[in-house]
Amino acid sequence: MVATLLTIMVVLLLLNFPMMIPLMAAPLIVLFIYFPNLDPMILMQQFSTGIEPYVLLAVPLFIFAADIMTTGKTSNRLLDFIGSFIGHIRGGYAVTTAAACTLFGAISGSTQATVVAIGKPMRERLLKIGYKDPTAMALIINSSDVALLVPPSIGMIIYGLVSGTSVGDLFIAGIIPGIIVFLSFSIYSIIYAKVADIPLANKVSWSERWRLTRKALLPLGFPIIIIGGIYTGLFSPTEAAGMSVLYAFVLEVLIYRSIHIKELPKIARSTGLVTSAVFVLVAGGQAFTWVISFARIPQMITETVLGTEPSAIFVLLMVTVFFFIGCMFVDPIVVILVLTPIFYPAAMDAGIDPIHLGVVITFQAALGSATPPFGVDIFTASAVFNKPYLEVIKGTPPYIIMMVVISFLLIFFEELSLLLI
Amino acid sequence: MNPLKIVDKFILKVEEFILSYAIIIIALMVVGKALSRALFTYTPPFADEVSQIAIVVATFMGISYAARKGRHISMSAFYDLAPFKVRKILAIFIPLVTAIVLFVLTYFSALYVYDVYESGRVTSALQMPSYYLYIFIPIGFLLGGIQFLRNMWINIKHRDEVYLGTDAKDYNDQEKEEIHEGTHL
Amino acid sequence: ACGGNGDGGDNASGGEGQTYNWKFVTEEVDGQVQYEYAEEFAKRMNEKSDGAVNIEVYEFGGLGSETDQVEQLQSGTVEMAVMSPGFTGNMVKEGQIFALHFLFPDSVEKTQQILNDSEALNTDLREKYEEHSISPLSFWTEGAMQWTSSKEITEPADFENFKMRTQTSPLILESYKAYGAEPTPMSWSELYTALDRGTVEGQENPIFFIGDASFHEVQDYMTLSNHNNYVAMTTVNTDWYEGLNDEMKTMVDETTQEMQEWVFEEQKKQNEEYLQTIKEDTENPTEIVELTDEQRQMFKGKAMPVRDYYRNEVSTVDGQILDKLQEEIEAAGE
Ligand code: NA
Ligand code: NA
Repeated sequence: MVATLLTIMVVLLLLNFPMMIPLMAAPLIVLFIYFPNLDPMILMQQFSTGIEPYVLLAVPLFIFAADIMTTGKTSNRLLDFIGSFIGHIRGGYAVTTAAACTLFGAISGSTQATVVAIGKPMRERLLKIGYKDPTAMALIINSSDVALLVPPSIGMIIYGLVSGTSVGDLFIAGIIPGIIVFLSFSIYSIIYAKVADIPLANKVSWSERWRLTRKALLPLGFPIIIIGGIYTGLFSPTEAAGMSVLYAFVLEVLIYRSIHIKELPKIARSTGLVTSAVFVLVAGGQAFTWVISFARIPQMITETVLGTEPSAIFVLLMVTVFFFIGCMFVDPIVVILVLTPIFYPAAMDAGIDPIHLGVVITFQAALGSATPPFGVDIFTASAVFNKPYLEVIKGTPPYIIMMVVISFLLIFFEELSLLLI
Repeated sequence: MNPLKIVDKFILKVEEFILSYAIIIIALMVVGKALSRALFTYTPPFADEVSQIAIVVATFMGISYAARKGRHISMSAFYDLAPFKVRKILAIFIPLVTAIVLFVLTYFSALYVYDVYESGRVTSALQMPSYYLYIFIPIGFLLGGIQFLRNMWINIKHRDEVYLGTDAKDYNDQEKEEIHEGTHL
Repeated sequence: ACGGNGDGGDNASGGEGQTYNWKFVTEEVDGQVQYEYAEEFAKRMNEKSDGAVNIEVYEFGGLGSETDQVEQLQSGTVEMAVMSPGFTGNMVKEGQIFALHFLFPDSVEKTQQILNDSEALNTDLREKYEEHSISPLSFWTEGAMQWTSSKEITEPADFENFKMRTQTSPLILESYKAYGAEPTPMSWSELYTALDRGTVEGQENPIFFIGDASFHEVQDYMTLSNHNNYVAMTTVNTDWYEGLNDEMKTMVDETTQEMQEWVFEEQKKQNEEYLQTIKEDTENPTEIVELTDEQRQMFKGKAMPVRDYYRNEVSTVDGQILDKLQEEIEAAGE
């Protein structure tokens, strides 16, 4: 069954079928072949279930806000302001991108929303100063991973429920790994900028910086509204996405008057187009998940692999491998829900700290959302930046290698997770 | 204008309208809910449900629009390397099979909608029949299937060009120029 | 790589030596009450049948939302399910009866007794479900519902302008409006963070769930309100159940009955253990508030008119099942 499923998916994928086809057709075919008594209708409910989670609404909202900002003036003012401080530093833009993604991801909690909200404006600037597109997109996609690792993290909330572990402790445990990821990406970016000889901007005078800062004062309300609003509990992360649309609307339509209100439906339409392209895949992924869960495929595989009385390190390695592969195909949150209960008992028997296990698992979930073929951040980037799939993933190998190395560090040094607790 | 073109134009307008306003409605609902709770400690109970309906509508009604614009995501690694002739064949074969799959999905999802209709289930906040929400799934698949057939047809009709969608030519054949850059038009 | 799992749970005729493969889906994850129930149920059936009955237990997650699971039971995709009436309330309206506050006795034990014996539930309500191909074989409590909050709640006035996270059903909204609270629908995945930041100020759940989801970490008070019970039902697909041979049917019925006592002890154990955990979590102190009889009566007084709302706006049989249940509860003597 696994072979049938994978063969259908890989063949259709490589032939350049729209990705929704392998995701939606493969489960249907498996149902026809292996479960002929079941009503295929059951997959249809999964399509809508996949896209109904409330938190997913942040994605179209941030796309909409970003579309309004980049059509108007806000985004340029913000970027000019940032550029005036870091443009003359080697790798400055790349490190700023990584930092902005990390911060925004930490707060919004959504890797996809981060790709959109930070990635859309920052990518244009990176291209302008000489970065190649695959490099810029890989940096954005991978830096956005941190959203799942640093609090508030939906991945950790789900793991906390499934395992009965303290969510507060998990949040704290994710901080050091999050910082390690950010530092690795930053160092890589600086070295890359040097090797690729990315041109530097001239140092900007303080009076010019002051002028750009004043121009950016209103746009700077964005991060304040989003960060402040979420931290004070005024609104939830999803609502913050809505507020950023409102803020973009107020700035561009009412204050700068750079967009006429009649243009809004047109901008919304392009947002809708991108949203649809991404969400049909999320819907298909849910149907795919349903079939493999129903057929007990994860249990079948893991039971054979784990054997009896595995060592702690072996369990962690298997956790890493399985979550990594799982997240390549299915939404990370679902992978956590499905696989955690399978590994958890073996991990406890092997004496692994549940918080440590949670960090290792969440880390793989984060990595998986940026890993081909079905990493959801890749779809999002491909749709939002309107770039072919291959171009989006071309630059990712160095990041995946760094993430894999960090995975091993996390496995072997539990202190990295447990130090702050 | 021939009547088919008028129908096509009409469907396009409807799709565009639905996509635009689905997104705008989501924004209004989410913002409205947050502001209302923050300012009046009142949370409109229908807000989440309306947003969720809108996202289902946008997702499935967007299938055919994205197909028209050649914007569905695919793994084009090998396709991009292929010579014109192979791409041309694929550009006929893929939309055909895609359309067939979408028609099969139309059939099953229509059955599903009927099942929900028969159950009499209503949504929790609006107490509106649940099938109102699901009906957009078969409609979306159907319109998507039709559009992919049109994508196939245009590739058969125009022999010397490859189309990714009726409104989008293959970027592989466009010399280095930035093609339909950005998402806003 | 691995076929042969595709019998879809049917038990084609075979007479002696026949095996049965059934699927049993739950709304909770490993370790939580519903899942433990289903595992124990599966174990007992397997033993009684000398290995002929194999029940695969599915925890929440892989098979979609709770509503999806209901549909899967209705279509026979799975044979058995633990479901809570809350998730079917939009189809079988009468099932919303369990959302009413202060309907059942304060004592969880007495409540379970009523759930076992009630004709209103086990006959009348069951018939309503069977119209939708769902047969509830038993009703059981997973524990009384409690309030957690960022400020102390001891009387209805404390709910004034209080942002209480609830489900979206009109009846539940009505129940909290009756206390003067602001019911605030919010998705489960956002709740922990929302409680932490004060986006919402309180929520309701049984103790084991509060502890398992760590909500006590981000709340200062837990009021032991016992305002209603988290009721679950052991359900089977009606056609499938009717089609079982007598031997199997009896075995399923017997096991269901035995399990009533088992699950009562299980929920009691879990709720007590988690209450202890919450009390002992000194890093995140949570004050446990117990209501006096008088305070409880104040809440109950406010909650009474909601029963009329149920009769008039929710029920499709003018509250007949509620009236009968109320009589049964009174007869049981609170
Ligand atoms: Na986060
Ligand atoms: Na607390």
